[in-house]
Amino acid sequence: MVGCEQTPSPVPKEASVKVSMFEQVPYRYMPEGFENHHSSVVTAPYGVVEPARMTESLFSAYAELVHAARAGFDGVCVTEHSQSSYDISPNPTLLASAVACAARAENLDVAICVLGRSLGKTREPLKIAEEYALLDCLSGGRLIAGFPVGLSYDANLNASIPAVETRERYREHRELILRAWSEPDPFPWNGRFEKYGQVNIWPRPVQQPRPPVWIPGTGSPGTLRDILANDYEFVYLSWDGPKLTGRQVFDRYWALAEEMGRDLNPYRLAFLQVVAVSETDERAEKEYAQHLQAHYRSGLGAIPGSAFALPGYAEPAAIEAMLRGSGPEGMLGRMKTATFKEIVDSQVAIVGSPATVADQIEAFVREFRIGNLLVMLQNGSMPRDLTEKNISLFAEQVLPRLRPIWDDEGWVNHWWPRGQGAGAGAGAVAEAVAGAASGREA
Amino acid sequence: MTTHAAAVREETVEVWDGRVKLRVKVAGDGPPLLFFHPLPGLAWQPLLDEIAQRHTVYAPEHPGTSPGDPRAIEQVQTFTELLLSYEEAVRALGLDRPVAIGQSFGGMVAADLAATFPSLFSGLVLLAPIGLWRDDAPIPLMEMVAGPPEDLPGYLFAHPDSAAARAAMALPEDPDLIPAAIAQQAWNTGCTTKFAWPIADHGLGRRLHRIAVPTLVVWGRQDALVPVAYAREFGDRIAGSRVEVLDDCGHAVQVDQPARTWAVISEFLGG
Repeated sequence: MVGCEQTPSPVPKEASVKVSMFEQVPYRYMPEGFENHHSSVVTAPYGVVEPARMTESLFSAYAELVHAARAGFDGVCVTEHSQSSYDISPNPTLLASAVACAARAENLDVAICVLGRSLGKTREPLKIAEEYALLDCLSGGRLIAGFPVGLSYDANLNASIPAVETRERYREHRELILRAWSEPDPFPWNGRFEKYGQVNIWPRPVQQPRPPVWIPGTGSPGTLRDILANDYEFVYLSWDGPKLTGRQVFDRYWALAEEMGRDLNPYRLAFLQVVAVSETDERAEKEYAQHLQAHYRSGLGAIPGSAFALPGYAEPAAIEAMLRGSGPEGMLGRMKTATFKEIVDSQVAIVGSPATVADQIEAFVREFRIGNLLVMLQNGSMPRDLTEKNISLFAEQVLPRLRPIWDDEGWVNHWWPRGQGAGAGAGAVAEAVAGAASGREA
Repeated sequence: MTTHAAAVREETVEVWDGRVKLRVKVAGDGPPLLFFHPLPGLAWQPLLDEIAQRHTVYAPEHPGTSPGDPRAIEQVQTFTELLLSYEEAVRALGLDRPVAIGQSFGGMVAADLAATFPSLFSGLVLLAPIGLWRDDAPIPLMEMVAGPPEDLPGYLFAHPDSAAARAAMALPEDPDLIPAAIAQQAWNTGCTTKFAWPIADHGLGRRLHRIAVPTLVVWGRQDALVPVAYAREFGDRIAGSRVEVLDDCGHAVQVDQPARTWAVISEFLGG
């Protein structure tokens, strides 16, 4: 099996902050200067791809996720983008199920976080209900169900959903999926967008009535209210640079939580941070700078600005507020020319020795009350050996400093999967999966 | 054309069982004429002033595009519901067989209304309507809407740098009003493209034969959004229709060729 040659010793998990390895699935051999001629999404020319290198890129992503599970991360996380060169993951449940089976075969207690199937984009929401339920069964009740709206280019161009309908679809699909998971008897669904005579999915999630629901977003007040009202988890991503935009978004979230009568349990908040760690600060820059800079320029930086919000994706008031620059300007709009220094200064990525990285992460985890942390340890052209070094070093020397941060406050992490299927029969499951993986009769 | 600006007033009619309060700009005197606007919303313009000299012009704002009422678009779920809403509006306004003029997106709406309700109008003018699709003449509507704003004039005008084209694209002079104007126009386009996305083909081509009123089809030969090949597609399907193709003219015919556009419309209207 892939990666068997390196099995870092597991880190104790009893402490509380949960740290997951987040992985996009880029094509790792984008030609230099690609962003000056092409978009990385929708129209990205497939002619730049060498088939063998595509296979290698895809398989490396799988291997690195398994490596992270073995290294002791609490979870592994994948996401969905179609027709994109920077995240070749048109259906993340495929990769997630492969990792889930590998983890069961080795008895690794690792959450499977799919962040996730886009509910505003999909034309088959019941398929998502079924896939997530299957993943929850395969992983032994360790699924985190991500319910993103979907980026505008993906929902409105790739899937060609009328932009103004994106959020209406999202609301209907979420309601349908949640009901399909928990309602015992078959039921008809006469929705605005979907009609089903008898909804009765097999399997259902092990975690009932539902796995934890995580919702990534840019932090608009409407989204945050929805998340808090339903006790979901809010996930913010570091693309804009937390030093530039984090304060505004996180302060708004906790202010809204108080206003809505929610507690200030830090586990309500997850944050995705790009991290690159090496033995020393100097070495980290030497090893990672070129990969990070190239990744942001040819990946996120090469998404045309207009593709993030097609007309109708956001209401007039939101567009007007954005144009008036009512919030701090993040890095996302400037990625195409981002320098390594800008990436690091804005904290889009945290790069350095284990101590440097741990200091910076611990500081903002405490400052912003983050309970669940996602770290992105592969970027663009980073090869697998360097990525696995990043994963191992993080697991060994950074992760242990982060876990106990909230221990003295005594909160319970209600937003982490309960692993209910891991009890009875787990041994038999592991044996069957391991047997299948090694080619034996199971 | 030296017509003075007409005095424009606004009426609101409740349609679609009261779910939509449709705002209609009204100007002029004479027999009623309906104008259906293109993708970015209603802009009152010299062509409408011209028409208002001898018609009462009724120019409805597509649901959701009236400032302050963005969510109205959610009340109109399908293109059929949009057509039914407009048919109700004609009755609610008390219009007796008005002439209908529709431009681009509005041309598709007007044409489908005339096909669906053959006695609703007394005449039909289609200015480079969308609504049909030919694989050998793709309409880059998605590319235009998703593309950078600076590319927009190239789709709309034969001469994007002309004074008329620049005036048609002009933002408010007061910088403080610009963000709201851009936001409104983006939302308007979202509200109209709801019924034109990603390909504006609701089967209109299979209904056009039902149009039973005198029809004028006007097209710019250099139309970069809806290729001029579609002029014949409409002309051939609508019995007795007249097709006018204007030279040195893009998608926004009345901007590129105001005098000739007005001349053919004026003649059709009986002037």
